[in-house]
Amino acid sequence: MRAGIFICHCGHNIKHTVDVRRVSEYFRKIPGVIVSTDYAFVCSEPGQDIIVESIKRYNLDRVVIASCTPSLHGDLFKDLLKKSGVNPFLLRRVSIREHCSWVGDDVELNTEKAKRLILAGLYSASHYIPLEEKMVEVEKSALVIGGGVSGLSAALFLARMGIKVYLVEKEAELGGHVRFLGNIWPSGRKGRDIVGEMIEELKGLTNVEIFTEAEVTGFEGFFGNYGVTIRQSDRERKVIAGGVVVASGFVPFDPAIKPELNYGKDQRIVTTFDLERGIEPPDLPDRPRVAILHCVGSRDEAIGKSYCSRVCCVNALKVAETIKGRYPDSYVESFYMDVRAHPRGGEEYFEAVQERGVLFTRGNVGEIVPSESGVILRGEDTLFGEVYEREFDLVILSIGMASSPGNRTLAQLLKITLDKDGFFLEAHIKLRPYDTAVKGIFIAGSCSGPKDTEESINHGRASALKLFGMLNLGYAFVDPFISWVDPKRCSGCRQCEEACIAKAIKFDEAKRVVKVEEAACMGCGLCNATCPSSAITLKGYMDSFIGDEISGLLEVV
Amino acid sequence: MEENRDKGPEIVGFACSYCTFKASEMAGSLRMKYPEGIRVIQVPCSSRVDPAFVIKAILEGADGVFVAGCHPGDCHFIKGNFFTRRKIAALKEMFKAFSMDGRLKLFWVSAAEARRFVDKVTTMYKELKEERDAGKKN
Ligand SMILES: Cc1cc2nc3c(=O)[nH]c(=O)nc-3n(C[C@H](O)[C@H](O)[C@H](O)COP(=O)(O)OP(=O)(O)OC[C@H]3O[C@@H](n4cnc5c(N)ncnc54)[C@H](O)[C@@H]3O)c2cc1C
Ligand code: SF4
Ligand code: SF4
Repeated sequence: MRAGIFICHCGHNIKHTVDVRRVSEYFRKIPGVIVSTDYAFVCSEPGQDIIVESIKRYNLDRVVIASCTPSLHGDLFKDLLKKSGVNPFLLRRVSIREHCSWVGDDVELNTEKAKRLILAGLYSASHYIPLEEKMVEVEKSALVIGGGVSGLSAALFLARMGIKVYLVEKEAELGGHVRFLGNIWPSGRKGRDIVGEMIEELKGLTNVEIFTEAEVTGFEGFFGNYGVTIRQSDRERKVIAGGVVVASGFVPFDPAIKPELNYGKDQRIVTTFDLERGIEPPDLPDRPRVAILHCVGSRDEAIGKSYCSRVCCVNALKVAETIKGRYPDSYVESFYMDVRAHPRGGEEYFEAVQERGVLFTRGNVGEIVPSESGVILRGEDTLFGEVYEREFDLVILSIGMASSPGNRTLAQLLKITLDKDGFFLEAHIKLRPYDTAVKGIFIAGSCSGPKDTEESINHGRASALKLFGMLNLGYAFVDPFISWVDPKRCSGCRQCEEACIAKAIKFDEAKRVVKVEEAACMGCGLCNATCPSSAITLKGYMDSFIGDEISGLLEVV
Repeated sequence: MEENRDKGPEIVGFACSYCTFKASEMAGSLRMKYPEGIRVIQVPCSSRVDPAFVIKAILEGADGVFVAGCHPGDCHFIKGNFFTRRKIAALKEMFKAFSMDGRLKLFWVSAAEARRFVDKVTTMYKELKEERDAGKKN
């Protein structure tokens, strides 16, 4: 083995709690290590050059990069090896940032841990064997799930770039929640107009197929060739999609979950969504008393929703302004925890609404009690430390965004993950906010957490752009991490065949040994852990790789 | 500080690429803290973990071993984690015979559950440390 070890400082991110110099010096003494060095940013161009030059100069046959977690920069480092004429599967990534420098503060202990992690990687890599990546053709087609504003913007972008798009919407009409909004802040436009333009353009494109009142009922395969079953009433269509954008949106929070608000029991208690949808509140006097509640269904631990819904403060301001416009002599009081008008122009809007005479009282409403003469609100003013009780003619609940209950089914079908609130989880909160952990499946819009219309459109386009980049290449490499049988060791006990979930293992009656159908193998390694004769092994995760990784982690350094 | 540096328990964990390993990455990104003695090995699926790996880790000096995968029903490989559960349960029975079942744990941690990951491993670490300190006193 001729190994090179490259340790990244990641600026201060690794260096501040790991003595990188000491680590790189330590490895210079390890047999088989030809070069060991540390550098400020190994992913930067000069950093990449160091790796490429070292490979050539020292004729390296193993490259260990100790830096950020392996799910970041994966292809970048693999390409460096390819470029230098080394099989990319002789690369080992070791995470000394997410799994070391960021999770511990003690420099001594962290330095020791980093040494062990790298040693484990090195030992493991010593057993690596060159593998061939399988190249597969990529279908230039995409499945977009959900026809709200985020799905529409993703579908439009992809279609304009020449990708065949299958857009699946469960309702009869496209447009999602935006089509119900009477006044989209800050543009003031009707939601129907905004999505209407997008729908019109989409319908005019010949490479788009729209399925309404439809759902995805089957999903299988890999990036480049996902097999999708779409059910529309009683018909089923099977299509091939290269990649997927999930844009299944949100559901408006249902205030009936909080019985103390008495929503649904009295016509004088309505939500912002009811008003946007055009549901007329009961007749109001000329000088109506109107209460507006912020944060209904958001930032509320009691109902397990600790997140901020991002749109409801602005919605509350918007409805306050509308009431003031319609009834200049009205008494409008908003009850808030703190006003988070974060979109651009939000703070100015908040001030403008205050100037129109809307009163703001800090302190959530504890209960709403309808009575003959009006609706009574009780709560505590947290600025003055006083209990209030006031009567209103109309109470408007500015509701938040909840995750759609259908997300669970989609997550299980596509094998992607939900966060604790039931929204789809991104692959990395900062660095991969559009991706899921599954290659070629992206998320867009409010299905991955509350977003306003602008953010949903941006998210949809960004996801579409990332997917387009992958599809447009026309090919993809699949990791060759599949199982392989050594016929000399196989006793023909067939235990692996029984275990294999993918039914990828077939018994050869003539030779009395098993064999793996490569296309069917999912690469889980269950057979490897089941075989009593150590005859079947998962490439990329062989027993010797893991076995020696264990030893490295426990070695005295 | 010095006594902190006294060798705390060493734990080797096997984490599924699709869930627990992701959670551990997120724990890092969020700068959550856990003891340095905890070290993770990435496996494609918890079902890849051969009971022999667990025994190897113990033989080579690990104080504890955990195997962690996706919650039942959420396995990326459909139901690999059910096989894991069965195997680890059997292994735990064996460990019990030697009064060392505390040294092996199985957790379900989804990719979203960075906090749960940290709680699980930290609790395991503390339990092992307490057990060992109690042993030292006797
Ligand atoms: C009361 C209220 C007022 C608002 N006011 C504003 C405002 O003034 N300004 C602003 O910028 N934003 C506003 N918003 C936010 C805006 O509604 C959202 O940003 C926007 O709707 C998000 O779009 P989306 O495509 O992500 O989700 P959605 O609009 O929810 O669209 C999702 C679509 O996916 C479909 N779908 C769901 N599940 C499936 C499935 N399994 N299969 C197929 N299809 C599926 C749904 O039927 C829907 O058509 C407001 C929101 C509310 C609740
Ligand atoms: S479990 Fe091992 S020995 Fe038995 S059939 Fe499968 S590969 Fe052969
Ligand atoms: S790795 Fe998994 S899918 Fe492939 S043959 Fe083995 S058990 Fe079957």
